[in-house]
Parts: sequence; C-alpha cells; structure tokens
Amino acid sequence: MIIDIENLEKSFKEVKAVDNISFKVKEGELFSFLGVNGAGKSTTINIISGILNKDNGKISVCGYDTDSHIHKIKRNIGIVFQNSVLDKKLTVLDNLKYRAALYGITGSAFKSALDETVEMFDLKEILKRPLHKLSGGQKRRIDIARALIHKPRLLILDEPTTGLDPKTRINMWNIVEKLRKENGLTVFLTTHYMEEASESDYVVIIDSGKIVAEGSPHNLKNKFASDFIKFYNHREAAQKYFSTQGYRFKNERDFTEIELSGTEEVSKFFKEKPELFDDFEVLKGNMDNVFLKVTGKDLHGG
Amino acid sequence: MKECKKLVSLVKRNTKCYFKDKVMFFMSLITPLILLVLFVTFLKNIYTGSFTQIATEFGVAIEPRVLEGITGAWLMSSILSVSSVTVAFCSNVIMVEDKMNANINDFSVSPIKNTTLSVSYFISNFFVTFIVIMCVMLIGHIYIAAVGWYLSVGDVFLIIVDCVCGILFGTLLAGIIESFIKTQGGISAVSTLVSSMYGFICGAYMPLSQFSEGLRNVLGFLPGTYGVGIMRNHYMNAYVDEIIKTVDPSKADAMAKAIKDGFDANLYFCGNQVSLGAMYGILLGACAVLFAVYVLLVFLKDKKILAIKSKKC
Repeated sequence: MIIDIENLEKSFKEVKAVDNISFKVKEGELFSFLGVNGAGKSTTINIISGILNKDNGKISVCGYDTDSHIHKIKRNIGIVFQNSVLDKKLTVLDNLKYRAALYGITGSAFKSALDETVEMFDLKEILKRPLHKLSGGQKRRIDIARALIHKPRLLILDEPTTGLDPKTRINMWNIVEKLRKENGLTVFLTTHYMEEASESDYVVIIDSGKIVAEGSPHNLKNKFASDFIKFYNHREAAQKYFSTQGYRFKNERDFTEIELSGTEEVSKFFKEKPELFDDFEVLKGNMDNVFLKVTGKDLHGG
Repeated sequence: MKECKKLVSLVKRNTKCYFKDKVMFFMSLITPLILLVLFVTFLKNIYTGSFTQIATEFGVAIEPRVLEGITGAWLMSSILSVSSVTVAFCSNVIMVEDKMNANINDFSVSPIKNTTLSVSYFISNFFVTFIVIMCVMLIGHIYIAAVGWYLSVGDVFLIIVDCVCGILFGTLLAGIIESFIKTQGGISAVSTLVSSMYGFICGAYMPLSQFSEGLRNVLGFLPGTYGVGIMRNHYMNAYVDEIIKTVDPSKADAMAKAIKDGFDANLYFCGNQVSLGAMYGILLGACAVLFAVYVLLVFLKDKKILAIKSKKC
C-alpha cells in the first residue's frame, strides 16, 4: 500500500474536518477522493503531505510514518494544487530550476531532469517565457511538470482540471495516464468531474469529514446508482404504465425517461411489457447519481 | 551541504522574484529619493543656517562648498540610516506574497526545513535592501560631489559598513514583525507606519539636541538612534576637520564639539557621552537580540507551536 490511513481525525476548533476515516491506496492505482467543498478532502491531503498536523490516527505514505519520516515522504510525493503555486513573474525554466533544487536536483542532474520534462510536457517553446504570460492550460502543464520533476512515486492532484477547457483537460489526463502506464505512478485525485472519477480504480466518497461510500466505480454504480430507460416510441403508454407502478418519469423533447432501481428491474419490465420496448435505450447510472445518492448533495452545486 | 544548496537556490529565487517586479524595486528606491529631494528643497536652508550660526559664534565663516557639503552629508546620513530600516520593511514583500499566494504550501510539501526557508527570506531581504541602499547612496553622493565633496575613500568604506549594520538591524526587525503578516494590506500598513515614525524616533529627521532632555533620554534607549549617530560621525568628520582648520587652534576642539553635539554626531545617554565603539556595540548587540528572537520564532514555527497559516490552496 502506498497510502495507509487509520482512524484519522482533525478538528479546527469546534469543527471536525476529518472524522475518524480509514482507507488504503494501492501502488500504481488511480484513486479518487470525492466530496463537496468543505467535506475534508483538502485537509486530508494537507495532512498526508505534512502541511497540517493530525489530531489522531496513523498515516503511512510510501512505507514511511508521517510522524517520524515526513521529509522522506515529501521526497516521494508531488502535488498539483487547486490554484497554481508557482512564481508568476519568473520564467518556466526558473520555476522548474528553483523547485528542483528543493529536492537536491541541481547541475547536471537538473539538466537531465529538465530535458526529460521538456520532452514529456512539450515545453521547448515556452521554457523562457514568464508564467504570467502563459495560457491557463500551459500553466497547468507547468504545475504538473513541477510536481513530477523529482520523479515522485505518488502524485496528488487536488482538483487539477477545475476551470480548464476540455482539450487541455484531455491533454492533462493523457500525460498522467502515460506516466501511470510507463512509470507505475500512483495518482491520488480529488475532482468535481465525475467522468474523471469514473476512470478510477477505486473511489472514496467523503461527506462532513466521514467516509460515506467506497469501492470501484462499477461496484458503487451497481450499489447506489439507478438505471434509466429512454423510450423513443410508445412514450404515452410507457409513461402511463410506469406511473401506475409508482415510478418517476421525465418527459424530454424526443424521449420519456423512467428511473428504475437497477438492471434486474429493467429485465423484469422487458419481459412483462415487451410491446413498449421497440425503440428504447438502457443507461446505467453514473457517478453523479452515486454521489447524489450517498451524500444527498450535488457535487457541482457544492 | 545539501541544505546549503537549497538555501542558496531559495535566496536566488526570492531575490529574482523581487527584482522581476520593476514597480516594487522602483517604489523601494523612490521613497528615499523623495526624502532626499524634500530635505534639499525644504530643510537644507534651516540646517545651513544652523551650521553658519555655530561658526559665527566661533568668529569664522564656513566656505560655501564646505557648508553645502556638510549639510548634504548630514542629510545623507539621515536618509541612509532611516532607509536602511524602512526599505527593509518594504522589501520583505516576497515573504508575505508567498503566504498570500499560497506559494508557501509548495515549499511546505517539499523536503526543506522551515528554518532554511525563513533564513532565505532574511538573506534575500538583506541583499535587496543593500542594493537599494547602495543605489540611494550613489545618487546622494553624486549630489554631495556636486555641492562639495570632502569625504575620503576610508569615510565611504565606513559609511558602507554603517549601512550594513543598519540593514542588518532593519532586516531582522522586519523579519520578526512581518512574519506575523499575511496580507498585502498588512505589509503596506506596517511599512507606512515604520516609514513615518522611524525617522523621528531615531532622531534622523530632527537632531536630538533640539528635543527635550527627557525625550532625548527615552530615545537613547532605542538602538536605531545609535545607528544614526554612527552614520553622522562618518559623514561629518571630514567636513568638521575642514571647518576647524579656519578657526583659532585653541578653539578648534570646542568648535568641533559644538558642531557634533548640535548635529548628533556626539550622542549622550543620561548626560554621559556615548563613544563610537559603544554605539557600534549597542547596534550590534540589538542585532544579536533580534537574531535570537528571529531564531526562536523560526524554531517555534518549525515545531508548529506558532502556526502562521497561509491562504488555503
């Protein structure tokens, strides 16, 4: 296990930000940590990375205890924060040089690390440009490059794609995926985008400092999300039939959507009323539904 | 050794961040220069008159170039001794900006000691303040050279040493006070307060000899006062020597004492004259005390006893 957290607790005065949570992250996996703003995600990340002290509990990162070996842990982790924490007045090169030096990477070691980074992130054109003159997407690339310049085993991404355009978001994920495949990098992700969480190996959902659900996206969807049938024909008949059975429905321009509890119910109605099913679509619930079900909150609404 | 390399890199980074912001550098530089212009425009004649009055009492006239030169030198000693402290407060902005922009979190997740980071802010602020003060000194010396230059290379060297002592004092004081500040508004407020008050309480804007005895004794407890005294000595000695050449040798010492007493090159604490060595001792002793407080603060922060939180990322 690259992260092993047991009974972690952290309070700020009366507010219990993290309330006795335990979870593990396997080496090489993409792990998603989901929750609305103020749920305790950033507090947990700050404790893992040594910015904050915990009140209680035991944390092991990369095989080291945070209480006794925080500096060894820091050498093995890279963090991309929600907002860029690099020096906007300095060039990309200066930012990378001064941050690499914090890990003891200087001289020829830096040159070699820089060459690799420039190639991986395609930075050649912007290397000598000050950060404040770059686009949002370019800045995000530099944030990730900075987090990876010392070749960490664990990359923590704290809402890394918030505010990015779709193309930049895809580019960023392509880089992260490449690193996972080629270097076995473990990624600890917090995000508001459920399609990103859907790609994870394991998901933990936290609400008011407590873990409310965890598992693989597939298992969580099976356990918590509804299935939906879209009827494109026989819309009125389907609506009448399902409403008498007590199901919720939604009329859209081209289809009527019925929410069912799961795949078994879909099979049951397919057998009972096959005449309704001549132009239809079955959709499995997504992570948004899971999140809404377990927390009662809309992730995008905060 | 590795920690030393990290320290050097952080100092370079802090200094570069400061000088990349041209407005910040310009504002630090312009404040002492405005002070110089204001002094020359509004106060020069008052001090020229005071020097002339002392000379008249001894029955001599001061040669115009010496008179203009000593007035300019006295004004420069005021500006440099005040600016060594006030510029240090204004230039420490990188430390506050790092907290404000949450850049400090990036350092917190890196394998560097808090001590290294704190020391890097102190060293880079010292460098930046030194560069600004040297620029001000250069401009001030061009002015003195234009009106009447009598300083020797040795005098200029000692003035630079005095600047270094003053900057050390100012940088440590700024490092301690501003370590509690987290906003741009906070640093602006502190800088404004220090800029407006420090010149008066250390006797730089007005000679202490013009204050009441009680106030003089109170100000005698402040180490900054002696920083000004040291600078006054090294700026004025060459001119005083030039002036007393014109007076009857039997009155030379008395005249030199009168000028130095009237313009704070001689300082008195509870009626006793403080020697130049003692002035250095007090200033450097104060630096040692401030250094101990700075180290204690860094230690407490390192142990997270005194948490100075930055803006959340």
